[in-house]
Parts: sequence; C-alpha cells; structure tokens
Amino acid sequence: MINKYLTIFKISWQEGLVYRLNFILWRVRTILQLLLVYFIWWTVFQSQTQIFGYTQSSILTYILVSAIIRAVVLSSRATDVSNQINDGSVVNFLIKPLGFISYYFSRDLADKLLNILFVILEVSLIIVLLKPPIFLQTNPNTLILFTLAAILGILTYFCIGFVISLTAFWVENSWGPLFLMFIFLEGFGGGLFPIDILPRGVFNFLMLTPFPYLIYFPAKIYLGHFSANEIFLYFSILIFWVITLWFLMRWMVNMGLRHYTAVGH
Amino acid sequence: MVNPVISVKNLKKYYSVHQKEPGLLGSIKSLFKRKYIVVKAVDGVSFKIDEGELVGFIGPNGAGKTTTLKVLSGLLYPTSGEARVLGFEPFKRQPDFQKKISLVMGQKNQLWWDLPAWETFILNKEIYEILQKRFEETVKQLARMLDVEDILKVQVRKLSLGQRMKCELIAALLHQPQVLFLDEPTIGLDVVAQKTMRDFIKEYNERFNATIVLTSHYMGDVKELCKRVIIINEGKILYDGLLTEIVEKFAPYKIIKADFEKMVDKDKLIGFGEIKNYDGLYVEIQLSKEEVAKKAAKLLSSFAVADLTIEDPAIEDIIRQVFKKGTV
Repeated sequence: MINKYLTIFKISWQEGLVYRLNFILWRVRTILQLLLVYFIWWTVFQSQTQIFGYTQSSILTYILVSAIIRAVVLSSRATDVSNQINDGSVVNFLIKPLGFISYYFSRDLADKLLNILFVILEVSLIIVLLKPPIFLQTNPNTLILFTLAAILGILTYFCIGFVISLTAFWVENSWGPLFLMFIFLEGFGGGLFPIDILPRGVFNFLMLTPFPYLIYFPAKIYLGHFSANEIFLYFSILIFWVITLWFLMRWMVNMGLRHYTAVGH
Repeated sequence: MVNPVISVKNLKKYYSVHQKEPGLLGSIKSLFKRKYIVVKAVDGVSFKIDEGELVGFIGPNGAGKTTTLKVLSGLLYPTSGEARVLGFEPFKRQPDFQKKISLVMGQKNQLWWDLPAWETFILNKEIYEILQKRFEETVKQLARMLDVEDILKVQVRKLSLGQRMKCELIAALLHQPQVLFLDEPTIGLDVVAQKTMRDFIKEYNERFNATIVLTSHYMGDVKELCKRVIIINEGKILYDGLLTEIVEKFAPYKIIKADFEKMVDKDKLIGFGEIKNYDGLYVEIQLSKEEVAKKAAKLLSSFAVADLTIEDPAIEDIIRQVFKKGTV
C-alpha cells in the first residue's frame, strides 16, 4: 500500500529532474526572488536601526526563514489537478484503484522534499556569502512549535489549492480563482513582509483567515515573537481551518467525481 | 448456465448540454441565460457478452459507443438501467473490480510524457499491486508480442504514435485484466502498426481468454477481429449478431470486377447486372449470388477479358446500408 505512494514519490522526482535547464532556471528564479526581498530590507535598514518594531537582524532572519517555509509550504500541484480535470486525464484515476487526494499529496510531498533540500543549500550559501546578522533559535520547544505550524501550513495550503482546483469539475476554467489565490498568498501570506507591520485592525482580521498561517505564522514562531496566549489562540484558529478545509476538500472531491461521472466529457 | 461477463439491461445515459447561439452576442446572452438540450447518448441498450468473446462496437461518431464503454468501465454513472461487469456494478468503482478491467482510449494517454514508458509500468505495478516476478514476465511477454522491447527505456515524447500506443496497451494490460475495453485503439496508426495491434489484440484474447469489447472506425479492425458485432446508432442498437450473418442478410449479391483488353461499349454490358462502375476498359457489376457463375462465364466468352474477379460487397457498404435503413 505504502509502496504505491513511494513510487509516485520517486517518479515525481524523476520527472522534475528530466529537464536540467528548466530545473536550474527554476532554482535561479527562487534565489533571485529571495535576494530581491532580502536587499530591499537590507537597504531600508541602512539608515535606521528599527522599523515597525523589527531590528535588522530579526527582519533578515524573517526573510530567510520565510524563504525556507515558502519552499515547503507553497509548493503544490494544485494547477495540475484542474488541468487534468479539464483535459479528461482524470479518467486515469477513476479507472484505477488509486486515491485521488493521496496521489496528489504524494506528488506534493515529493516536490516539497526536493525544494527543501535545495532551499537549505541556497540559504546557507547566502548566509556564508553575505554574513547577515541572523538570529539562531535554540529553544527546542519553540522549534517543535515551528515545525508543527509548518506542517499544519502544508495541509492548509494543500487543501486550499485543491478546493480551488476542484472547481474545474463544474466550470471549464479555474484559472480565475487560482490567480486570485496566488495574489492573496503573496500579499497576506507574509512572504514579502511580515504582516504585523500592517494596521492593527487589518492584521487582526487577516489572522482570522488561513493565509498568514502559511508563512508569517511559522516564521514569527521561529523568531520567538509570540506570547503563550497568542500561540494558543493562533494555533486554535489554524487547526480550525485545517479541519474545515480538509472536510470541504473531501466533500468537493466526492461531489466533483459524482458530477463528473454523471455528466461525463 | 454460466453467467455472462458483461450484462447490460435497458441502459440509458442522457446528458444535458448547453447551447450557445452563434456570435459574440450569443456568448453574452449565454452568460445570463442558458438553453439546455438533452442528448440521449445511450438510449435503452441491452446486450450480454460471455467470457472470452471479442465483440466489436460499430457506429458513426456520437453513436454512443464510447459512452457505453465508459459506463461499463465505471467512469460514468448511468441515467437508468442496469450494467454489470464480472458481477460488479461498475460505477461503484470498487478496487476489486478495477483490478480486473482495463480501458484503453486511442485519444487519451496514461503514460508519463517526460519519462520512459518503463516508469509508468513500475507505477502501475504498485498501483495494481502486481508481484515483481509476474510483472517482469508480463512486461517481457507483452513487449515481445508487440515488438517494442527496445524502446521501453526511451522517453515517451520521443516515441512515434504507433510505439506509444503499443506502450499504452502494455501499461493497461500489466495487471492482466479479464475484461478489456478498447476505444479506437488503432486511430491514427499506419497500416503496419494497425496490423500489429490487431494481431496482438487477437492473440491476447486467445491466450488469456480475456473478454474484449472494441470500438473502431476502421471496418478492417472489426472484420479481422470480431465474430460478433453490435451496431449502434443514435444510442440504439441496430444489430447484434455475427458479422457473417449481416453480410448474408444484407448483401445477398456479389460483385464482378473485370478488366477488358479492348474498349467495351456500355450498352453491351446491359443484362449482366447492375453496373456500379464503368470506364470502358473496366467494369464493376453487382448481381445476385445465383446468377454470378453463369454471368461471369458469359462475360468471359463474350469479351476479351484480361482479368476477372468475383467479390463479396465491401463490409463498409453493408454497414452504410444498415445505418441508412435504421434497422436490420
């Protein structure tokens, strides 16, 4: 049983590594994206020592940690799902003894593992070359919470991506909603800036949505910026979202397949 | 009595499709108000297929062939009626059922485009939980039968259409399904590849006693492979029976084809039969079976004939007649 998904894992890696140039360019893009954000913040701190309550060290650490989180959390095959539904190759799942969700989750995990290997390498390289004053978290409890938050973030993102892609069962093109999702992710996920620099009201509202939990939340845990109360509150909200989105996804898969088999293509 | 492998009773599958009026205005209109029409893809079809049979589904595009196959393989939920395959209700998609069937569609693929076919085979091995030893034997055997042993490790996108279809077929047969649905398996293939595919399908059917249902546009496929055919049009079955019987029933005539050494006047050929084709040096005459020997002899004695053959009418023509008439 587990072999099934291990093989999906392996075949995904192989597929990812077929085109060397493509692979290298993709890594170059990730590094450039990271350096861009890094240098913007680095420049800002040339004239000041503290902005929005962040020191240069904490913001640069935030940027580097969020790069790692991004690689793990924000990598998904969600768009493949809608493509396969639209072009009908979803039939390949319906005809085989194979779980639809588990298949994609295995593929995602494969991507994530590949990503994390490379991003750790890249971030280490930046640290060695640029010698930023980074903050090393050593508290084991904090690190456990950080890992837990990242895992829940992975689940959250997987479910969001899947739920949106599954709309392809009913509409012919789910690019609109997917595009909207990417914008929300970039703006409110915390990949470009920590969202607590926004006005308090906006920040509090955003913390009720699932988006900040993808990057911002784990990164801030790593920095040790949350009080015990905040940790408890935010974890509760996050767990609520994971459960809700999980059931929503399951429900949509069932409904979608039923609709698909009823309507046909 | 043995239960049939496939039994279908009064199966119906209706779709509702929305219709757009032509032009931009029509597109805008359809944003607000959609007109739906019901398409009766399969409309009350019944048949039974026994173990080891190789049955051909014939019909024009949109006749309901593919829809029927999809219902039988569990991809579509029937609107009404009953469909049973190996005792299972296909649409429930139970793993035990899925491990016993396979569907190959000439226009869809399951092979991973960027990797060699071999990798897809390995994935399928795990999905269907095939034992290593049996997997190796099956791949070897199928690859030899299809003559693709040397391309299994080549990236799929670099293969020709024919090679790819053969690999598709292997991927679909690794778990040795008892029931195989083939939807246009030879579409787009050249004559040689078509022949290999046909030979393979026949051999597979005989060697494994697999039940095969095949749809095809090419009468050649059906003629060579299937004893029994089901002719379907507009969702209804027009004929279900032996292919040879349909020829008997529909074409109680033969065709004489003759090449002359010298030009022959068309008038002189009147009385031999119905002239289907004539250009002075060549003629095709359709006539009843009883007359054919006598008339052929007369033709040979009356004119300088260079070559003469007597043939059955083309199966395509017969099928066309069935569709025209609407019933058998």
